[in-house]
Amino acid sequence: MKSLFDKWKTRIPKYSEVHKDLFNSLSQKFGAEGEKKINLGKHFSTNYELYTYAFFLGIYNNELAPIPDGEKKIDFSHHIQHWGSKTTISTRKDFTNLQENMFIALLAKTQVDLIALEKGELSEDEAVKMLIKTMESYTNGGLILIKEKMEENSNYFLQPTSFLDMILEVKKENKYN
Amino acid sequence: MIIRKIQIENYLCYYDTNTFELSNGLNIILGENGEGKTKFYEAIDWLFNGENRELDMLVSAKKLNEAEIGESFRVRVSMTVDQDGKKSIITKSFLAMKEKANHCYTSSFMIEGIEENKIGERIQVDGKTLLDNIFPFQIRKYSMFKGEAELNIFESESALTDLINLFSDAKHYHKYSEKGAFLREKAEKAVEESSKLDKKNDSLYKRLEGEIFQLERDKDSYKVHLNATEEEILKIEGYLQEAERHVSNADALEIINNRIKGIEEKISFATGRIDENYTTSLFDDNWILVNFEAFQREYADKVSAHSKKRRELQSEYDKQKGIREGEKKAKAELLNNSVPLPIGVPSKSHMEEMLNDEICKVCNREAKKGSEAYDYMMKRLITYLQSQSVKESEPENDNPLFKFDYTNRLESLSYSHEDNLKNLRLIRTRITDLFEFNDKRKREIEEQNEKLENEKSEREKILGKSSIGAEKLSDVLKNYNVWQKEIKNKNQDQNDYNSKLKNIEYDLKTKKEEKDNIDKNSASSFLIKTRNILRDIETIFIDTKENKFDEFIEKLQTKSNNFFKRINIDSFTGTIVFTRRNKVNRTIVEVELQEDGRKFYKPNQSLETSMHISILFAISELAFESKNQNFPMIFDAPTSSFGENKTAQFLNLIFETENQKILLIKDFLYTDRMTKILSIKKEFENVKRDKAFWVKLERPFDPNNLKTINSQVIAL
Repeated sequence: MKSLFDKWKTRIPKYSEVHKDLFNSLSQKFGAEGEKKINLGKHFSTNYELYTYAFFLGIYNNELAPIPDGEKKIDFSHHIQHWGSKTTISTRKDFTNLQENMFIALLAKTQVDLIALEKGELSEDEAVKMLIKTMESYTNGGLILIKEKMEENSNYFLQPTSFLDMILEVKKENKYN
Repeated sequence: MIIRKIQIENYLCYYDTNTFELSNGLNIILGENGEGKTKFYEAIDWLFNGENRELDMLVSAKKLNEAEIGESFRVRVSMTVDQDGKKSIITKSFLAMKEKANHCYTSSFMIEGIEENKIGERIQVDGKTLLDNIFPFQIRKYSMFKGEAELNIFESESALTDLINLFSDAKHYHKYSEKGAFLREKAEKAVEESSKLDKKNDSLYKRLEGEIFQLERDKDSYKVHLNATEEEILKIEGYLQEAERHVSNADALEIINNRIKGIEEKISFATGRIDENYTTSLFDDNWILVNFEAFQREYADKVSAHSKKRRELQSEYDKQKGIREGEKKAKAELLNNSVPLPIGVPSKSHMEEMLNDEICKVCNREAKKGSEAYDYMMKRLITYLQSQSVKESEPENDNPLFKFDYTNRLESLSYSHEDNLKNLRLIRTRITDLFEFNDKRKREIEEQNEKLENEKSEREKILGKSSIGAEKLSDVLKNYNVWQKEIKNKNQDQNDYNSKLKNIEYDLKTKKEEKDNIDKNSASSFLIKTRNILRDIETIFIDTKENKFDEFIEKLQTKSNNFFKRINIDSFTGTIVFTRRNKVNRTIVEVELQEDGRKFYKPNQSLETSMHISILFAISELAFESKNQNFPMIFDAPTSSFGENKTAQFLNLIFETENQKILLIKDFLYTDRMTKILSIKKEFENVKRDKAFWVKLERPFDPNNLKTINSQVIAL
């Protein structure tokens, strides 16, 4: 029995260099918690938290925005399987459930020909590549949304509820669409 | 020891020779302001401590005026004391010679001592030595007090050390504890050296040493911080107290301050309970999955559709495969399904011959054209001929339709998340719940903040009714609020430092144990035993010293409170509390008045005075216990804040105490408005005393002309 999930989580997804500033300003690279996080003016403890957030924001808003060919893709050298888990910060919980849900969303939203995969006509690598591309596209969409929000009102993210609100607002909007 | 007689000659307002024949017990010297009380006190102080300069300032102006130019006279203060039945006279004097009007030349002073034995023989001795023998310097220090301000002896940092040296056993242990530390350090060093010989633990040992060194340094530096913070807290408390002194309604202020403190605690508690880490909850509590159900559904549908399709394909494939296999089977149809002979047996030519002859020459039977037997033979020949033709054999598909099975894991992920659906649906409720909880706390905080504002403005109203001018008041108010804030911060710092110190102590203990374990394995057991003994000895010395110290403080406290209760009989007193505080290099004692274990911040002057006098009497009692004799106590105007009634009560009380007391007070005097005649009030008759004097300027005098000033001593 093969597992696409197990393969997928060994990968490192990328993001467009144009969002580098967003990562610098919103998240703390080496992990910070509690007061330190707030003192640094960071909302996210780690880069992958922001990445995960942007991904979910992207899929909830159906913002599939593939990274344009002209933009340089960069990553933060952290395999998906290590996201959230085994951090030095003991107060935080592990991300296994979130990883699984990300995978679930990706498989739902990616046109992977599973029949061909199982027949061996489509390579596993190819399938995983498709999933990662979907992941990067939704995340890129999410990051664009955050950026727009920031440009709209630079003080928006000073509210402790701002990021939660963006996630909660999605559904209402979708209802009317 | 008792002072029998004080003689003052040509000293300031005391013109000619003035004698005070004193009694054991309570001696009261009455006098109006500026009529000679304080000069009496100063004369004794000069006798005890006076320096050899500006002596011409001490000469009686009246005497100098009367003297002829070139004439000389003596300025003298002398004291006759009784000690163990022996009389001693100590005289301090100098010569003054009039050079011209208002000017005189003075000699250096000399101190003469005369000892008189029981049969009346007099021996000349060194005056200074005699004085120190009969009335030791340190005891004198706690025997003479001028005014209320000087009563607080603990203002001086050395006071405690002096007292300990005078009266407590703790002083004996000081040198031992130093010695103990020295020996213990030597032993530690020896064990260390011995452990270091064991190369195996070298690096670990060095690391531990380094860590311990660092921790000790951290500990010291936190201690310094803590001390500084504690000092600042005391300082700010002092400022606040000083500011509150101007306030007329001090009790109300204290109540409000307590209420403010309570409200601030409630606010900080509620603030602590608010969990505003919403962004973190997105991850840790999976809140980010709040809208995820649709995606999970889509996934589940997709996976199950795929699974179904996969099975259909497999079944179709299997069916197809079954048909092909059926064909194959048919090819080799033999009776009873028996295994056919190899193809090509019999040979092609034999087969053709048999078909030509219409006879099966293997079984010797007729095989007419169109019969079953003929057809079978023909089929076999064809099969053979086909097998010989060079054509691609039909692909034998033995490979399965699906090489890999991904479906199984995809489905199990689907099932496990299906079970989790309930949790996904609960997220929204959880978020709402937390928001409601936080909102409630916020409302609580708002309410408390409102209360806080009210209390603060109430406090400002109280502070407003103060005894200082309006322009100064705004300053005080501003500072008052700043101080209140600062003291809150400092208390926080103090807590932080204390908990950090606790952590460091804990780490230090662990590291030291770790190091001791290496010692145990590496150093010689003799050295370790020696070191452990020396460690214990040092601990014993330190503990004993501290115990002795505490014992002394305890004793002083008990005695002080006994006097205190007696002086303030029938009125509020509170308790005098001595607190030992260890600073980095020294130990100090703080004295404060407490009420039910709470510091009583604003004792009025009379309460404070009676507290200090109580402590002095306690010290005097300790002096009696340790030297087995009483020493006189001389107070100049100690009770100016008491009022006459309380002074009378106070005098009656201290009348009961053992030692000799000389009190200079301005109470019980009365000036008739009409005649301007000064007299002693009737009330003084009710004051218990052993002896009383009245010092009074000789009338008439010109207040602007010193030459007319002469204090008379009237024994009452």
